[in-house]
Amino acid sequence: MSQTEAYHVEDEVQQRAYDAQLMRRLLAYVRPYRTFMVAAVLLLFVSALFSSVVPLLNWRAISLYINNPARIEMEHRVQSGDSAAAPALRDQAATDKRGLYKVVVLIAVLMVAEAVIRFAQMLIVAWLGQKAMLKMRVEIFSHLQKMSLRFLDRNPVGRLVTRVTNDVEKLQETIISGIVQVINDLSIVFVILGFMLYNNWRLALIMLSPIPFVFVTGVVFRKYARDSYLEIRRRIARLNSCMQENVSGMRIVSIFNREALRFEQYRRFNADHRDEWFSQVRYYAIYFPIVDFLGTLSVALIILYGGHQILRGQVLFGAAADIGMFFAYVQWSERLYGPIRTLADRYNLLLEAMASSERVFELLDTPEDIPNRPGAPAVSNLRGEVQFNDIWFAYEPGQWVLKGIQLDIRPGERVAIVGHTGAGKTSLVNILSRFYDVQRGSVCVDGIDVRDYEKTSLRRNIGVVLQDVFLFSGSIEQNIRLSNPDLPSDKIRACAEYVNAGKFIERLPSAYAYNVGERGANLSTGQRQLLAFARVLAHNPRILVLDEATSSIDPESEALIQDAIAKLMQDRTSIVIAHRLSTVQHADRIVVMHHGEIREIGTHQQLLARRGLYYTLYRLQYKDQDISRP
Amino acid sequence: MYRPEHKAIPGRPFLTILRYNRPYLKSYLIGGILSVFFVVIGLGLPFIVRGVVRSFTEGQVTMRLLWLYFAALIAIAVTTGFARYWERMLIIRASRKCEYDLRNDYFRHIQTLSQDFFHRTQTGDLMARATNDLNYVRMFIGPGIMGTIDMIQLPLTLAILAWFSSRLLLYTLIPLPFVSIIVYFIIMYMHRQSQRVQAQYADLTAQVQENLAGARVVQAYGIGERETESFTAESESYMRENVKLAAVMSLAWPLIGLIVGLMIVLVLWLGGFMVINGVLALDDFTGFVVAMLLLLWPLVEFGWILTLYQRGIVGMARMNDIFREKPSVRDDEDTQQAFTVTRGGIRFDTVSFSYDSRAVLQDLDFTILPGQTVAIVGPTGSGKTTVVSLIMREYDVNAGTVFIDDLDVRRIPLRALRQAVGYVPQDTFLFSESIRENITFGKPDATDEQIRYACEVAQLTETIDALPGGIDTLLGERGVNLSGGQKQRLAIARAVIADPKILILDDAMSSVDTQTEEKILERLRLVMEQRTSIIISHRISTVRNADLILVVDDGRIVERGSHESLLALRGLYADLHERQLLEEELEHL
Repeated sequence: MSQTEAYHVEDEVQQRAYDAQLMRRLLAYVRPYRTFMVAAVLLLFVSALFSSVVPLLNWRAISLYINNPARIEMEHRVQSGDSAAAPALRDQAATDKRGLYKVVVLIAVLMVAEAVIRFAQMLIVAWLGQKAMLKMRVEIFSHLQKMSLRFLDRNPVGRLVTRVTNDVEKLQETIISGIVQVINDLSIVFVILGFMLYNNWRLALIMLSPIPFVFVTGVVFRKYARDSYLEIRRRIARLNSCMQENVSGMRIVSIFNREALRFEQYRRFNADHRDEWFSQVRYYAIYFPIVDFLGTLSVALIILYGGHQILRGQVLFGAAADIGMFFAYVQWSERLYGPIRTLADRYNLLLEAMASSERVFELLDTPEDIPNRPGAPAVSNLRGEVQFNDIWFAYEPGQWVLKGIQLDIRPGERVAIVGHTGAGKTSLVNILSRFYDVQRGSVCVDGIDVRDYEKTSLRRNIGVVLQDVFLFSGSIEQNIRLSNPDLPSDKIRACAEYVNAGKFIERLPSAYAYNVGERGANLSTGQRQLLAFARVLAHNPRILVLDEATSSIDPESEALIQDAIAKLMQDRTSIVIAHRLSTVQHADRIVVMHHGEIREIGTHQQLLARRGLYYTLYRLQYKDQDISRP
Repeated sequence: MYRPEHKAIPGRPFLTILRYNRPYLKSYLIGGILSVFFVVIGLGLPFIVRGVVRSFTEGQVTMRLLWLYFAALIAIAVTTGFARYWERMLIIRASRKCEYDLRNDYFRHIQTLSQDFFHRTQTGDLMARATNDLNYVRMFIGPGIMGTIDMIQLPLTLAILAWFSSRLLLYTLIPLPFVSIIVYFIIMYMHRQSQRVQAQYADLTAQVQENLAGARVVQAYGIGERETESFTAESESYMRENVKLAAVMSLAWPLIGLIVGLMIVLVLWLGGFMVINGVLALDDFTGFVVAMLLLLWPLVEFGWILTLYQRGIVGMARMNDIFREKPSVRDDEDTQQAFTVTRGGIRFDTVSFSYDSRAVLQDLDFTILPGQTVAIVGPTGSGKTTVVSLIMREYDVNAGTVFIDDLDVRRIPLRALRQAVGYVPQDTFLFSESIRENITFGKPDATDEQIRYACEVAQLTETIDALPGGIDTLLGERGVNLSGGQKQRLAIARAVIADPKILILDDAMSSVDTQTEEKILERLRLVMEQRTSIIISHRISTVRNADLILVVDDGRIVERGSHESLLALRGLYADLHERQLLEEELEHL
């Protein structure tokens, strides 16, 4: 069901009330780029100005040159037979052409300039938004690296991934570009309004009279369309998760003959989704024609008003009905409509971004629960002595998994830990590397409490091989190296050879460069084990912690693994959760755990002779492996 | 003969799209007629403008004429508004209906496919086709078709332009196609870059996911900082791809605006010269400019529509890859449609089965009489689950025959076969619905009495009563998450309630503690007495009372008999038994 959940969580759109504090914190990410931000806004003004000047120039081109009243006057004279006017007309025509040419070139230049500036401005905004979000993204990721396993156990991976990817994405989309867009819209509106009112305020007012309706219909439409859109998102999420669940559970569906009913459910969700789209389509179908209508109304209004003025004898459009101005005003009003329509929608997007930012900051504000003590020293030159002093440990309060563990391990000693499922073996190694902190008692390495070391340096000195070998998708070499740049390639090879991994690696298509696939899927269990051994050896820890795999492995690999384990344990303090007889036999001491306590300690022969817990375990787990059995 | 549950024609994406649109042909036709209507009406606009200009230049304006123009403009706006409304309502809604049909068929088709398909296909891949690709197809049939119909205005507008001034049109004709071509290339490039961004985003997500899943290794080796460094590098390349996309987009819209603007400037320039030279009347010039504006945006749209076509076809082809699949297990002409399982006897006759050319089962021979309880034991991976899969005919055998009530399972209608089986799987799969819906999954019409009984058998009553919503509590994200043992018990109730002829428990109590298991088994025994039962288990206590125990190892039956006779054999079974005694001993130490 977990995949289905991921679908829901990501597709749900949430909103949150505007919060000035959140906003300030968000803007802090943009602060380093404020010069660019200011530059972008300035460019924006310039481009708004340019784009508003173009209609003005069109007007000049028409009124002064194309429809030059003086030239038209001459044309009339020539037409009515005044041949003396002909040369003057030719001159005037030539002058007009030159003038027109100049204006047209100017318009073209302005248009190109505007496009370039707009391009630059959009690019700057996108770039700085990306920069800011990169910083936030890395911050979240880095914070997650400090979180304890306890935290990671409690929070599903999918949800945390969403914080790093989806939530940050949303912030980038809405906050940065959103703010700039609002500035852009407002500046265009004001510049154009200025031009229109300055040139002819009466005409402007008449023409703009439908604008309030544009704004109001915009607000109303956005509200309906937005609600409907959110509903569509919900329904498509439900539809998709229904399909996903069915594909995952197809086996059960077909065995239980539920195809028809499941399909009926899907069909219903599908119909719901379609119907919501129907209402969305209706909103658009109503809205677009209304906006078009209001646009035409503007044009119709100036024709009516302008004509009326001319009839009353007031020369409004200049001598011969100035269509240049008419054009300019139509163009201006067209450029005004877009920003006014979109302004209404910006606020909603902001609220969505608020919800994302709150989730992100909540994660960033979660404190580390296994912190370094201030000034804790880094580990250097360990001898490898380990002491467990009366350890009490629980994952859930009250449910003790380790009860009063007392164990001293000498430097270089090889200790095998055995016990049945749930004995507390894994917990013991978990607290040694400080994956978890103990509730009572202390774990000491070289006589110092592990909580007094710098965490990372401690862990680097304790090599851990887990039962389920985790491999990262990438090459064999990368998986051994684990992003440690100081490891030379030949050392990696030497380590792999030493733990018997060299042979299978050489046989792979591209040897050490071979991609192991997601979680090492391209390798067998045995191969993954050997690779993990090479990995731990390459990092040469003083203390080795090895949780042997229980799963059955082919006999050939088994022999290689046994040999490798023996090699690994040489010359270092080794704590091995043992499932192999050979490992147990190689140990200096065997610690038998049961229900969170240490019940027996001794060598293989001593413990067998005791005929106690170890003897039973031996018969259960190791007997089959004992070829020397009578 | 196999009859698919869809209308797709694999290999012919375009025909498939047409076929799915066929039922809505009427909507498209009426929408198309309306579109032509409003296009024609809308083309009145340049004429009115021209008329106004002419009246002014010739000084023949009267108030009546002005009102006439005003009324004409409003009339045009209103009628085109209505036509546009209906066009959108008809065509876009039809496209949504078509999407709905396609989605339903896709879902239904997937349901018919067999297990082998789901083994080699990833859920994510199936989902991608149902979301992204389907969306491309819908964009093709919605905006794509509407846009195509709108293209009727192109020739009409060109005719008007020619009528105003064929010479001016000739001058400006050459750059026109480039408007569409440039838009097409910009959008295609934008699309490609946005796919690159998405791929990079997926990589980034995978990296975070892997880092968190491998948190133990990351922490054990203290490589958190280095991981952060490599994440930073990955984020940076994601950022670079994003900035590239932003660059294309930042370029695209100003550029398209610029092209349109420059076209008008060109008209202004050339047309202006013609007016000044006296070869073009001012009113014709004005009409031309207005008509040119009406022409340019459809040209931009045309470029966009071309990209919709391209993506729609690709999307449909990808959906067709799935539509092409045929169920490997299905009823055919040999199926005895009237057959029902009445007794529940099972017989394997030298059955072999291999998967991916790896032998899973070899030469299985056994008979289960109606009403018998048979246990299957053996190590992990020995093929136990495959045995029951063959009984339910999730796969077809490679050799030999599986008989149920003396009929080859391949001749039993799938529906009848599965109706006869109650199955409790190894990995419990529950749906995120209420507990009641999950229990009655195989028997939606179950009475409360039957539900209560099934819950009793599965020892589920107490668990359910403890939940706030009782049996109507939702499972999954929006409700409660049950423990592994609780889920298994629910799965048992789900199988029991259907009152099947054959009950199969596939390691069904691995997460249930021993005491609860005892109680469940006690109740189940009553249930099992009345039907054929197959139990797969690792626990001897679960299987010891079976009429027959089959010991499977490496795809073969290596031992068979009753508990006592198998112990006497001192083989694999006896070994298993001894181990379990030791385990019990350990529990008590």
